[in-house]
Amino acid sequence: MKKPLLAIALLYAVFSVTAPTTVLAKDISLLNVSYDPTRELYQDFNAAFSKYWLAKTGDKVTIKTSHGGSGKQARAIIDGLDADVATLALAYDVDQLQEKGKLIPKDWQKRLGHNSSPYTSTIVLLVRKGNPKNIKDWDDLVKPGISVITPNPKTSGGARWNYLAAWAFAQKKFGNDEAKTKEFVGKLLKNVPVLDTGARGSTTTFVERGIGDVLLAWENEAFLAQKELGIGKFEIVVPSLSILAEPPVTVVDKFAKKHGNEAVAKAYLEYLYSEEGQEIAAKNYYRPTSQSVAKKYESQFPKSNLVKIDEEFGGWQKAQKIHFSDGGTFDQIYQK
Amino acid sequence: MQFKYTKFASALLATGLLSLPYSANANDSTELEELRGLVQELSQQVKILARKGEINEETGAAEKKAAPVIKASSSGFSFGSADGKNEVKIRGLLQADHRHFSDGANDVRGRSNERAGTLNADGFHDAEDTSLLRRVRPTIEGKVGGKYGFRFTPEFGGGSASAVDAYVEANLNPAFKIRAGKQKSIVGLERLQGGGDIKFVERGYVTNAILPNRDLGVTVSGDLFGNKLNYGVGIVNGVADGGNISTGTEYNGEREYTARVFATPFIDSDSALAGLGFGIGGTWTDYTGEKNLNFTDTSSADATRNGLPSYVTEGQQTFFRYTSNAIADGKRVRWSPQANYYYGPFGVIAEYAKVSQEVSLASGGSASGGGAGSSTVITPGTNKNLKHDAWGIGVSYLLTGEDASFKGVKPKQDFDLDKGGWGAWELVARYSEIDLDEDTFKNAAGQYGAEGSGINSTFSDLTKSSKSAETWTVGVNWYLNSNAKVALNYARTSFDGGALAKGLAQTTNNNASGSNVRDRDDEEAILARFQVAF
Repeated sequence: MKKPLLAIALLYAVFSVTAPTTVLAKDISLLNVSYDPTRELYQDFNAAFSKYWLAKTGDKVTIKTSHGGSGKQARAIIDGLDADVATLALAYDVDQLQEKGKLIPKDWQKRLGHNSSPYTSTIVLLVRKGNPKNIKDWDDLVKPGISVITPNPKTSGGARWNYLAAWAFAQKKFGNDEAKTKEFVGKLLKNVPVLDTGARGSTTTFVERGIGDVLLAWENEAFLAQKELGIGKFEIVVPSLSILAEPPVTVVDKFAKKHGNEAVAKAYLEYLYSEEGQEIAAKNYYRPTSQSVAKKYESQFPKSNLVKIDEEFGGWQKAQKIHFSDGGTFDQIYQK
Repeated sequence: MQFKYTKFASALLATGLLSLPYSANANDSTELEELRGLVQELSQQVKILARKGEINEETGAAEKKAAPVIKASSSGFSFGSADGKNEVKIRGLLQADHRHFSDGANDVRGRSNERAGTLNADGFHDAEDTSLLRRVRPTIEGKVGGKYGFRFTPEFGGGSASAVDAYVEANLNPAFKIRAGKQKSIVGLERLQGGGDIKFVERGYVTNAILPNRDLGVTVSGDLFGNKLNYGVGIVNGVADGGNISTGTEYNGEREYTARVFATPFIDSDSALAGLGFGIGGTWTDYTGEKNLNFTDTSSADATRNGLPSYVTEGQQTFFRYTSNAIADGKRVRWSPQANYYYGPFGVIAEYAKVSQEVSLASGGSASGGGAGSSTVITPGTNKNLKHDAWGIGVSYLLTGEDASFKGVKPKQDFDLDKGGWGAWELVARYSEIDLDEDTFKNAAGQYGAEGSGINSTFSDLTKSSKSAETWTVGVNWYLNSNAKVALNYARTSFDGGALAKGLAQTTNNNASGSNVRDRDDEEAILARFQVAF
């Protein structure tokens, strides 16, 4: 028994000394499971990261992306879609990866800067050219005859941001009177003729199908619609109050480890915070968290009065429970 | 869907416009504005309906993708997850057989304890016609997590229930699969062919007599080089030749090691050799005979008594038995070269197997067990290494032009009286034989003998058991469809030895020269089967 072990040790020693020191380049495949409107952002960013990683390590990395409603995407990962990284619309959906899937550690949000949100956004109102219904603020959305397009908060992260932005506005307007706030949001939802499952679906409904007078949209999605999907056909209306949306990112540790992709997955997300990553985010109409890049693109993003989820709603866990869990305010209002 | 709504909208608009009294002479701007508003509102409603339709379709498609999949087909019934990683299949095999013997005996000469009634003048009972359920095997098999599987196949044929297959497996990689539990032995080619796919009603001597059937243990197998080379290795409990271990029992403390490689080097080519496969399998174990002595006290011998087999004909009639005090004691080595070939409707399968089995004789034993009332011990100096071998070659030809294969036949046209289909028809023929070591019937001095003859250091009696059997089989298979098959075989078996010379009293023992031996009468059997498998 000892002789074979000795022989193996000798062979190992010989190969260790004589083997060429060059390391073979690897072909790496990485899966980023993201929310609906990030298609264009990650198309650009993936190309940049692949180039960066090839230059840095010699390894060719191919990044596949999957897009859909943020809540649906989180459930898909929990059900076994083996994402190396998740770049979702809101922290609650990422929390689910820990709570229901045990796929990431509890302190996932502390692993990267700005609570693991490399870019932010907000919710704006996108109206048709000339603003024919004269929509200026959330108040206008509850008027009879106004058709509002927003996705379903049960499946879409963007829809939850929309809902909370409207709620925050009404809460302020009615001095924290919950009944009146509910009534306000209820009226708004009554003006919604169709609920898409994701933000990109709602953009399609509004932009391509020509339905509705106003689209409640991520700021980046509204810019995209205005400047690329329907040039000159839409206008952005910045409401008097909106919400600071912080889409978080995380390595899905369990799957990245399984694929041997831990290092590259971590580097991929860290690169979102780099100068180039932030530039790409800004060019795709996401608000950069880097001060220098934010200053460079200052004029692109209108100044807004933005409430924060933690301050206004006590964080995503609480907001989810009160508003979007079964029997929450959304169910109460929408089922009426 | 959208098109329908658009048409609907057009109809509505047309109806609305025509019905409005001011449509033709609408000069009033207010009325025009109202009209425009109405049109826009209708247009929005139509678009909303169309969009809802789209969303419903998208949602339906997404739900369908995630919905459990239920399948019912000629391959069986299954239900599983949408991603295919989790699945349970229900399959089945039922074979109703009839055996008709125009000639032949049902056991070795002088064997009276299996049947009631008096032995005939030659010391045999005739082989009797019988109808039986040869295989009644429902199967539940499945996988969880994509890689981990199980199979459970009980057997209700043959008058009692038992587990034919019961194993779990991990398909970690096409080149590395682990299976643990009761399973088919990996060694024999025809054995690995499914019970519903075999070309003949019964398998040949290589499979049925020499090589193991099913065993308990762990096997590792896999496909290498793009499925061009299949390998398998196993550590199992070990069973006697042709043996089928019962679950949860261990005959002997020793392990048996099994291995097989099988190559199909031209499988990806378009050449005539694409259907060629060949390989070799083998087993090795070393029995310490003393561990088996408890089993020597039984007076009712069975097929695997003392670690030794009995051998049967194609009509499943026993023609060879060891004497009751013979015992497996020492090494047992089997090896089996094997090949098959399929080209268009033509198929051939050929196998050879040889077993070297060390055997000793035991003496003593309790009186109640039929022994001498003393401790059972192995008789010193009785050990022999007996070498038996068998081979066979079977050919098949599908008259209706279907492609032959190792697996079942899918008829080009199912049997259907209304539509005129006749299913698939196949002709089959096989020659197979088994030859036992002459030393099985002799003592160390080269004398034939038997229990009670005074020459008792032999392991069998040539006036009772045959030392070889040769069988010609011809037949026809009718595949009514992928699931139903009718098979008809005629098998003629001739023997060497196995009976007492004519004119001698049945109480006569074999003599030292074996001159009072004659050949057992030929067996002629017609074997018929109706089978349903899914």
